[in-house]
Amino acid sequence: MITITLNGQQREIQEGSSVEDILGIIGAEKQRVAVVVNENIVYPEKRGSVLLQEKDLVEVLSFVAGG
Amino acid sequence: MNGLPTWLTNKKASDDIAPLLQNDSSVSLESLAAEARAITLSRFGRTMSLYAPLYLSNFCSSGCAYCGYASDRATRRRRLEFEEVRRELEGMKKMGIHDVLLLTGERTSAAGFDYLRRCVEIAAEIMAKVSIEAFPMHVNEYRILAESGCTGITIYQETYNAEQYRRLHRWGPKQNFLERLELPERALQAGIKTVGIGALLGLSEPVEEALKVLRHVRHLSRTYWRAGLSVSFPRIRPQTGGFQPDFTVSDHFLARMIFAFRIGLPDVELVLSTRESPAFRDGMAGLAVTRMSIASKTTVGGYLEPDGNEKGQFEVNDDRDTKTFCKALEAKNIEPVFKNWEPVYNGPSTGQEQT
Amino acid sequence: MDSLQIGTYTFSSRLILGTGKFGNIASMVDAVRASGTQLVTVALRRYNREQAEHDLFTTLADLEGITLMPNTSGASNAKEAVRAAHISRELSGSPFIKVEIHPNPQHLMPDPIETYEACRILAGEGFLVMPYIPADPVLAKRLEDAGCASVMPLGSAIGSGQGLATAEMIRLIIRESTIPVIVDAGLRSPSEACAAMEMGCAAVLVNSAIAVAQSPPEMAAAFAEAVQAGYRAKAAGIMPKSGSAIATSPLTSFLDRTS
Repeated sequence: MITITLNGQQREIQEGSSVEDILGIIGAEKQRVAVVVNENIVYPEKRGSVLLQEKDLVEVLSFVAGG
Repeated sequence: MNGLPTWLTNKKASDDIAPLLQNDSSVSLESLAAEARAITLSRFGRTMSLYAPLYLSNFCSSGCAYCGYASDRATRRRRLEFEEVRRELEGMKKMGIHDVLLLTGERTSAAGFDYLRRCVEIAAEIMAKVSIEAFPMHVNEYRILAESGCTGITIYQETYNAEQYRRLHRWGPKQNFLERLELPERALQAGIKTVGIGALLGLSEPVEEALKVLRHVRHLSRTYWRAGLSVSFPRIRPQTGGFQPDFTVSDHFLARMIFAFRIGLPDVELVLSTRESPAFRDGMAGLAVTRMSIASKTTVGGYLEPDGNEKGQFEVNDDRDTKTFCKALEAKNIEPVFKNWEPVYNGPSTGQEQT
Repeated sequence: MDSLQIGTYTFSSRLILGTGKFGNIASMVDAVRASGTQLVTVALRRYNREQAEHDLFTTLADLEGITLMPNTSGASNAKEAVRAAHISRELSGSPFIKVEIHPNPQHLMPDPIETYEACRILAGEGFLVMPYIPADPVLAKRLEDAGCASVMPLGSAIGSGQGLATAEMIRLIIRESTIPVIVDAGLRSPSEACAAMEMGCAAVLVNSAIAVAQSPPEMAAAFAEAVQAGYRAKAAGIMPKSGSAIATSPLTSFLDRTS
């Protein structure tokens, strides 16, 4: 298991998890979201192949209502 | 004519004052005057900025039909040598002048760029503000002049009617209508801080002419937002060659035009020269005009030792000396302002260049 | 009403809508429909599973003719705004970005310095930059020079409903601008939107006034009509204000004496 920070919260995940796996964990796999890992945008076509490492900072973002 | 810039033909840009210019306008001249006066008072206060012209040379290669200095006019040609330039300026300074407009004709071998540049340098040592009204130049030439201390240029399009323009500019480099339209922008791109524009009233139908001048100012104001802007209202005066303009511009119309400009351009300097009579100038002072030339000579030099035989570019109408004119202003509770600037600010504008 | 052109986009509606402060998504969607708007701004936040039942992106994408303009609200400096812009572009596919940087969470006034810096960078990257700014004529020209697609000066503070408190400054901005001027923030009622258009604004952006109205869709429709009315009036040539100044003695009698 490795520890990453996801949307500001520490989480333990399986070593070798891909970004796509993480989206599944938080229920975002079917949503239109943006993913940023350590300040780099991970485009949808890469999410299956980008694997997360210990201490990675992950942000999963979407549009919300707001002026 | 093809290639006219959209800002010149865009009626919407002058729609607000068009109704005010019509002779049968329902807005009375008196109410226009009152409104212009209120705006001028609030924005400019009770002041009149004063300057004087110095003709450096009357050599000219152009054939402008309306000008006493056209190359086929029998005018004695001469130019001021640098020492004379210095002495004339010092003489003007003794009169109280701190703001000079240097004039030349078209670029000639006798009075070309280098000559003008040297004159600007000399003037910058003596005067707080140095403007020029001279031949068309390229951006890099305007930049050199800006670095030499030139703070403003005056360029009259003469007429914004391309057809009439073609007819009047019989020969010479001034024939290019579109190039002339561009000159204020070249100067501003080069870092010259202020441009003055205007049309020689009477050359073309005056209402149309006025609308185009207004569009020109508004275009410059939006595109060169750091620029100082002024508009002059020269009316054709009797000159050597006896050119008679096609259109008459009455005092009433000129007043109406100036009031309309003040209303449409609340913060632009409006300028009257000594082409106008003492009565007209005194009347307009405090109503809309904020800048006037004073005690002018339109001969080459002429401030030190007026040459009675020499004919100026046009006949001066108001030849009152500085003391008399200032008294007239003060009688109207207007402060004559000869100097409101320090030369230390006279470097080229440091704003980003427009392309 | 002539179309509004921004970049390669053409809009037949000159009412832009914000999506915040509505009680629920359905109410917001009704208002968007009723307004006829074609440009809607949304914010970027961390994905939240609870709120995800209403996928805002898909909801808006399903409405016809809507272009998204993500905003950078939440960013307190240029760096954060630029990052939000990059993420938003990837998420929305839209080149529009409303640069909105308000470091003070109480009054929400925009930071001119961070905004300028962010706009300079984003314009250079090809975004259609729509900066939310104080109604400052010099800042507006600086942003125009930097390549912004429009400027969006505030009428008054966000949500304050103080209307066109900055009217004179907005007039100056319009006078000097060669890009669309869009009043954003502070409009409280349709008459104010109409007034903004009569002044010469290219469009208005409205959020709070519609979201907190008793009937947001009705208010949205009213704003749409007001924007049209103001635009038409300006195009028709509004009668000038008559000069209020009256001199005690005639100012132009000197003209009778001159030749």
